[in-house]
Amino acid sequence: MDIPAPEELEWLETNAFLSEEEEDYMVVEEDAGRDQEEDLIEVSRRKAPDPATTIEIHTSKKRPRTDKKAEVEVLEGVLADNERGIRRRASGDDSDEEWLRYSPPKDVAAADAAPERDVAVLDVAEEKFISRFVSEIEGECIPVTGPCGDRVYAKMNSGEMGGTQRKLIREKPANGLLSEPISLLSRRAEQEALAKALQTSFDSPVHQIHSTSQTVNEQLWVEKYAPKSFPELLSDEQINREVLLWLKQWDSSVFGSQIRATSDDVLSALRQHSSVQHQKFSNIKSFFGKKRGAPFSNQNFKSSDVFDRENNNLKGASKFSSRKPPFNHPPEQKVLLLCGPPGLGKTTLAHVAAKHCGYRVVEINASDDRSTSTIESKILDVVQMNSIMPDSKPKCLVIDEIDGALGEGKGAVEVILKMLAAEKKSSAEKGNATQEAQPGKASSKKGRKAVALSRPVICICNDLYAPALRPLRQVAKVHTFVQPTVNRVVNRLKYICKKEGFRTSTIALSALAEYTECDIRSCLNTLQFLNKKKEALNFLEVGSQVIGQKDMSRSVFDVWKEILQKRKLKHERKSTSGCSGHGDFDYLYSLISNRGEYELTMDGIYENFLHLSYHDPLMQKTVQCLDVLGVSDSFLQYVMRTQKMSLHVHQPPVAITMSRLIAQVEKPKIEWPKTFQRYRAMLMEKKDLLKTWQNKIVPSISRHLSIKSFVQDVVSPFLHILAPPTLRPVALHLLSEKEKDDLAHLVDTMVSYSITYKNSKSEPSQKVHKYGAVPDASVLCFDPPVDDFVKFKDYQWEHCGLSAAMKQVLVHEVEKQRILRDSTGRSMNLPDGSSSVKQVSATINAEVIPMMNLSGSSSVDGSNKLNAALIQRQELSRDASKTSSEVNKKLPASGVNLRTPGNSKKSSSHSSSFFDRFRKGSNTDSKVSGDASQKAATTERDARPLLFKYNEGFTNAVKRPVRIRDLLI
Amino acid sequence: MQIRIRCGCGEGTCAEWAVVELQGVVEPQPSIGDQIQGLEIGRLCCTSSSSSSPGSYTFTVGYHELTGSKVALKKPLLVLKKRNAAGREEPEVGGSSVVELEAIGIIRHKILFKSRPKALISRAQTKEKKIS
Repeated sequence: MDIPAPEELEWLETNAFLSEEEEDYMVVEEDAGRDQEEDLIEVSRRKAPDPATTIEIHTSKKRPRTDKKAEVEVLEGVLADNERGIRRRASGDDSDEEWLRYSPPKDVAAADAAPERDVAVLDVAEEKFISRFVSEIEGECIPVTGPCGDRVYAKMNSGEMGGTQRKLIREKPANGLLSEPISLLSRRAEQEALAKALQTSFDSPVHQIHSTSQTVNEQLWVEKYAPKSFPELLSDEQINREVLLWLKQWDSSVFGSQIRATSDDVLSALRQHSSVQHQKFSNIKSFFGKKRGAPFSNQNFKSSDVFDRENNNLKGASKFSSRKPPFNHPPEQKVLLLCGPPGLGKTTLAHVAAKHCGYRVVEINASDDRSTSTIESKILDVVQMNSIMPDSKPKCLVIDEIDGALGEGKGAVEVILKMLAAEKKSSAEKGNATQEAQPGKASSKKGRKAVALSRPVICICNDLYAPALRPLRQVAKVHTFVQPTVNRVVNRLKYICKKEGFRTSTIALSALAEYTECDIRSCLNTLQFLNKKKEALNFLEVGSQVIGQKDMSRSVFDVWKEILQKRKLKHERKSTSGCSGHGDFDYLYSLISNRGEYELTMDGIYENFLHLSYHDPLMQKTVQCLDVLGVSDSFLQYVMRTQKMSLHVHQPPVAITMSRLIAQVEKPKIEWPKTFQRYRAMLMEKKDLLKTWQNKIVPSISRHLSIKSFVQDVVSPFLHILAPPTLRPVALHLLSEKEKDDLAHLVDTMVSYSITYKNSKSEPSQKVHKYGAVPDASVLCFDPPVDDFVKFKDYQWEHCGLSAAMKQVLVHEVEKQRILRDSTGRSMNLPDGSSSVKQVSATINAEVIPMMNLSGSSSVDGSNKLNAALIQRQELSRDASKTSSEVNKKLPASGVNLRTPGNSKKSSSHSSSFFDRFRKGSNTDSKVSGDASQKAATTERDARPLLFKYNEGFTNAVKRPVRIRDLLI
Repeated sequence: MQIRIRCGCGEGTCAEWAVVELQGVVEPQPSIGDQIQGLEIGRLCCTSSSSSSPGSYTFTVGYHELTGSKVALKKPLLVLKKRNAAGREEPEVGGSSVVELEAIGIIRHKILFKSRPKALISRAQTKEKKIS
């Protein structure tokens, strides 16, 4: 009853019925706490009128108290008060167990076990205080509504009843700091008692004693046996250490030097522990494992003792700390991200470690408050505000299930990132100052708490790779939980079972642990449930017995892994139980169907299963797998088309079939499936390309040419046509007549299919007009890259391309031809479709290639007119376009080659020298053909009957420089 | 052989003709074929009519415009018309006397178009067409 009492009262006031919030207080002010408890018990007892309710109320009151007492004792143990601790524990356990057995007489005994001091208060006037009817209560009463909605009336306490109460208050003289008097607390207790009483009053008297009180009052084992101190943690030691180290790094900035500065030695020791902990802590681990049943307190004390001693030993060893600079400032990563499957104790670790480091844990469950604003205000409250209470501990924020906070705008993640960004800014400003302040214990850090994150934040998630966590993952320190060994879990389970008096076997427990994948929560829930039902844990039917498993959706990588990897453990079990085949199936089935995204799942399987090294000499398995995948694919397609989602049911068996066929024991290397997206994009691209190409083709051809059939049937022969092997790569004028014909035909084909060659290296928009400039720097390839459709990876295609020179010639000719075609196409309306087009093109071909023969249309001209041979090429083309429509029936008639001297002269008439003529031959040709086209285009417009044709002169003279002295000699 | 030439108009008053000399050919559109009679060939204009300098002329044929100048011929030419005078003359003169040539005009000048013709269709337009 000395000074700490008010704090104790305050604590009771705020956390009246929340257990396990602050045991540290209990440690220090254990006496006061006990007194307080007793007070409460008295109060509750005083209020109870009839014996039945008394018991009930007492029971309900008793439970948290005893619990608390147990806690108290645990921590007491830490304070090295061993014997007392054990004794207390024994008594606490007694009452606990007895209470759990729910026999009223024993309960009374348990009540008697309480210290003798409260005997004084037991003589309470038996009066009707609570009733469901107002009439039964004399004096003032107050309506009270119980948790289940029942309303009762409680008598208001007046003077004569408050006697003891006042006495109690007087006993604590220093409670002036309390905002609420103890009477309020007692009233709260009374209300709870009322509720309980009411609940029981509805039941039959038999049940009153048995079932109801049981179900209401029993605490979940999960909470009851949750680790209360650091060494009790069941999770992996290394992770525990790391988390603790991280929290310790905050010390200097959070606590400052005046309160508690973690010395460098401790940190280095911690660091060393986390690195070499395997030898150091094997002993601790082992005696955890062996002697779970023994009082925790003893061990705790010991282990912490060991810990301290080690720290002392390492005091001088600064070489460990020299690995990293000593942490006097908050750690680099301000956020800790713990991830792992459910039930491994992530939340527990966060709580325990934070408490161990002297923080007050504030937990925000991100899946409860989904909106950003709510979460933000909460986080900011916790992180940036200090309690005004003198004894306040700094807070440590634990955000549970942060991956659940996806809702709108990823609430919590965003808030944290924002604060981190603010931190970065401020630290950039005073970066140098921080560096220099390092040796000085950095007490000045408090100055910048205003905006930035100044308290440790621990985030907990199940799926590390949830999309919402991506930004957080980059800035946070990530720890992934791994399953503890089955042994550890089983040992712990065994200990708990023993404490609860539940008979199990190690085998069954290990089967249970295995089945739940060391999900301790699920294990405990199952055990408690079975205990309730008075059933034994049957290790053969663990699957049906497990209850309360957290609904887990595993990451898709896990799903793939499970499918592609055979589980060793399953194998063992198969030998023992024999029925695990079904279990395996069920497991995989639920796994896959929980994941849901069948398309993705199948994609992943499809892309990864060929990397497995399964034994398959005849490729039968592969074929089977591909068959099965085909089935799945058609299912998916059908579902997509008809929206019959129920057909998705058939997807998991497909995957399981594959798993049965090819799953291997060794770990598969699984990659995210990318090829589907890639090929899809490529397909779209190619389709687009073909569409535009088809639009460019002459309609008379393109309407008979579907893209699909082109790709499937036509491409290969088409490429053969485009690259005839008969074409010799020689100058045009050296070609034979037949070859010239072929060439003309080829050009015609290319033009009508609007295919040309282009420089692949040069920029694509640039046409190959000036092909002469850099012919060797780039490779000419088809302009709509039709040859891509026969090019496959590692496939040698036998289409021989033309030589580069030939390609260039073709480029040129095609270009010319296209211009001509444009103009003629415009000038004449084609009445008879493709045939006339062909005629025109044929005639034009013949004249556009002037160095070749003037067959075809020129011969027609010749037959028409006498002077046809003398007609220049410009006119000829125009002639052709004119006459072709008239005379295309008799066109193929004459093969007479009218090689006009005028023509050959014409082409080179204004080239200055003999050699130039050959070099620029094709150039002038193009010019001439350009002229021709231009003239042909305008003939219709100005219908002039007579035209003038200018005769240009020419010379055959060879020009070469001659010196005058050569002439003189 | 003597060729008798008759002139109906008399020495000073004989009609003056001119030769148009082109480097090139004037030919009909192929669609017209052989019926070229009565077609307008083109338009000849005298652009500078000053008497002192040799006049410059433009000649527009089809879509070509030729520019030329008037040049005096070194030897004047006579334009004759052959006429069959068999019925009127005496038969003793022989076969040659049957044909009578009548001078219609004298050609002392020619209009010479020796430069390359200018196309009346603008170049820029065709280029645009090509691009499109």
